Amino acid sequence: MWTSNRFPALWLLPALLPVILMTVYPIGHALWTSLHEVMILFPGEPFVGLKNYQRVVASNYFGDALRNSLVFTLIAAPSVVILGTLIALFLRRRFFGCEVVRSVVLLPWVLPGAISAVLWVWVFHPSFGILNGILRDLGLIDTSVPWLTNPQTALLAVAAAHVWTQIPFAVILLMAALSAINAETLEAAAIDCRNPAKRFRYIVFPEIKAMIVLLLVYNALTAFTSYDLVYAMTGGGPGTATTLLSFQIWRESFSMYDFGAGSAVAFIVVVISAVLIAAITKTLPSDLFGSS
Amino acid sequence: MNRSKLLAALALASGFVVQSAQAEDLTLEFVVWNYSLETIQDNVKQFEQANPGIKVKVTDYAWPDYHDSLVLRIRGNTPTDVIYGGQDWLPAWGAAGFIAPLDSVAPKGTIEELSKDIAGFALTDVTYDGKVYGLPYYSDTISFIYNKKILDDAGIAVPTTWEEVTAAAEKLKAGGMDKPIIYEYNQELPNFYDAFVAQSYGRGADLFDAELNPLFADPSNGAYKQLQWIADAYSKGLVQSDNHESTIITAMNTGKHAFTIVYTYVLAALNDAATQPLAGQFALAPMPGETHATLGFAKSYVVTAKAAADPVRAEAAWKFVNFMAGKPYTVAKRWAVEKGLGFGQLPLFEDKDVIAAWSKWADVGALGKQASIAKAGTYTEYSSVWSAYFRPLLAQAMVGEAPVDQVMKDGAQRWTELKEQFANR
Repeated sequence: MWTSNRFPALWLLPALLPVILMTVYPIGHALWTSLHEVMILFPGEPFVGLKNYQRVVASNYFGDALRNSLVFTLIAAPSVVILGTLIALFLRRRFFGCEVVRSVVLLPWVLPGAISAVLWVWVFHPSFGILNGILRDLGLIDTSVPWLTNPQTALLAVAAAHVWTQIPFAVILLMAALSAINAETLEAAAIDCRNPAKRFRYIVFPEIKAMIVLLLVYNALTAFTSYDLVYAMTGGGPGTATTLLSFQIWRESFSMYDFGAGSAVAFIVVVISAVLIAAITKTLPSDLFGSS
Repeated sequence: MNRSKLLAALALASGFVVQSAQAEDLTLEFVVWNYSLETIQDNVKQFEQANPGIKVKVTDYAWPDYHDSLVLRIRGNTPTDVIYGGQDWLPAWGAAGFIAPLDSVAPKGTIEELSKDIAGFALTDVTYDGKVYGLPYYSDTISFIYNKKILDDAGIAVPTTWEEVTAAAEKLKAGGMDKPIIYEYNQELPNFYDAFVAQSYGRGADLFDAELNPLFADPSNGAYKQLQWIADAYSKGLVQSDNHESTIITAMNTGKHAFTIVYTYVLAALNDAATQPLAGQFALAPMPGETHATLGFAKSYVVTAKAAADPVRAEAAWKFVNFMAGKPYTVAKRWAVEKGLGFGQLPLFEDKDVIAAWSKWADVGALGKQASIAKAGTYTEYSSVWSAYFRPLLAQAMVGEAPVDQVMKDGAQRWTELKEQFANR
């Protein structure tokens, strides 16, 4: 008799094949590339072991790029989650025009990264940018601040743009989590405790903690592998001020024509990302990754 | 056979004929960056009308993504026949076997004949290893551009040396202009290095000798002096960075800046009365420095090695390249008249329509004079790799994040390493 238990591998094949083709093969090929000298300008692809890894770790950009990536992630991921939570809590309230406000909040999410970058370049522009205009009108600055070309402000400016693009997704998920909380529990909490901060801490937060951990992990990964905004807004500069590790994957591969080194950086990014996920889930235990 | 059956048979047969003719249509894959895509599409349409049986499919990428996308296409064996080539990439693509010399696809003697009409620096830019790989799509120089009204109002003469630029900028700053110079500062764009080379050429500098040894780490070299000049100008607060020419156009039109150094075609956009509030106030001056030379360059139509290897595709690809860049230079003229793009085909400098169109936004005499003393850059198989390494160093030195001396030494050392590595490959 034919049952799915008799040929498990055969039944799994339709699902496994795309995974093998679309995930396992590219990762395997990237690993192979990282262990070989694959340079467009030079013939042959000899095995070089860990030489590519040694070279990129010893390069003059690696230290700066790693530091920038970690700082960028430490700024961006918590900012997205904190702001996303505050906005989601606000948007749950009923007020005049709340539907319109909810739609507008989602706008950054539907904009392609390149468009967001152009928009923020215009916001930060020293000659005609709105930010310098407002600060000047408020009397906070006398001369325009070159936000994107000053090494002291460039990373912060790019991080602000990145946070802006990521907040809507966090808001949607947090609103979904908030709406799943039992209304009677919230009603009882409102009667028992007048302090909204305490109500959030003891009633709401435990209910949405799994979602917050999920968003922290997701945003840590998004920030750590961010590429498009940085490329379009600063090109990694000035100097190495906004050079991120993920950006170096592209630079090594396409600017330097060294696909071996580019793949090595990619695998270093993968390892650090895995450490980040482990650190977040260990620091904030939740039932998100718990065994069923 | 009755009449209806005969008609049906004829209709069927004609259907086969049409289908067969359609099946014989050859489609060329043409890859471009997306500057004025509607003009490209229209040029392609005209080619198709003039060449029945050949269709051209245009694929476009944004300029910052073009190089990477093209490398990926060719490495991934995506069908690609004719491409836009850049002078800085051409030797590497030639060495990697991506592209083919035009002699291998064009009728004998044609390339030699067309080359006679191409400006010196443009011909250098489309030549690799002694062979011509492309015909110019456009060819331009990098210009020193100033706002005439601002200088007139302040009683400042047009600067002829970099020291005079400093003096003029300091005077304007003292008069209330915060950042008189706006500088295209994007270390990932080739423009960033090109503009630096153009300024160094203005001082009469050569960055490399005939044996391709780097000269710029010597403090007496003009390139060294120019990097020091830029760093000094930044430290004095005279320069505002901007990461793209498109926003420089808007910024210059706020009247808050007097000088910039950009591709010459930007002048056409700066003086476009339809879109810019200060149109007509901008002019180009000879590149400051002892010789006033500047960098000239050419972007070109190039045939891929894969297309050249297939005789049918090679013939079609050549027809297309010849239509776009060959005699009577109709397409090059169109770009010049409609978009203000420069050209490498010398006869167009005497074309009345071109002169009339360019007079609207530039002093054609000054433009021609600049083109006549423009020099080509030094491009080798490894120069784009080196440039990608050197540009962030330049960027750091300009804003005082790294000493000029160290940056020039590091740049020279990396060049020498790549030169040796390539020689020993």
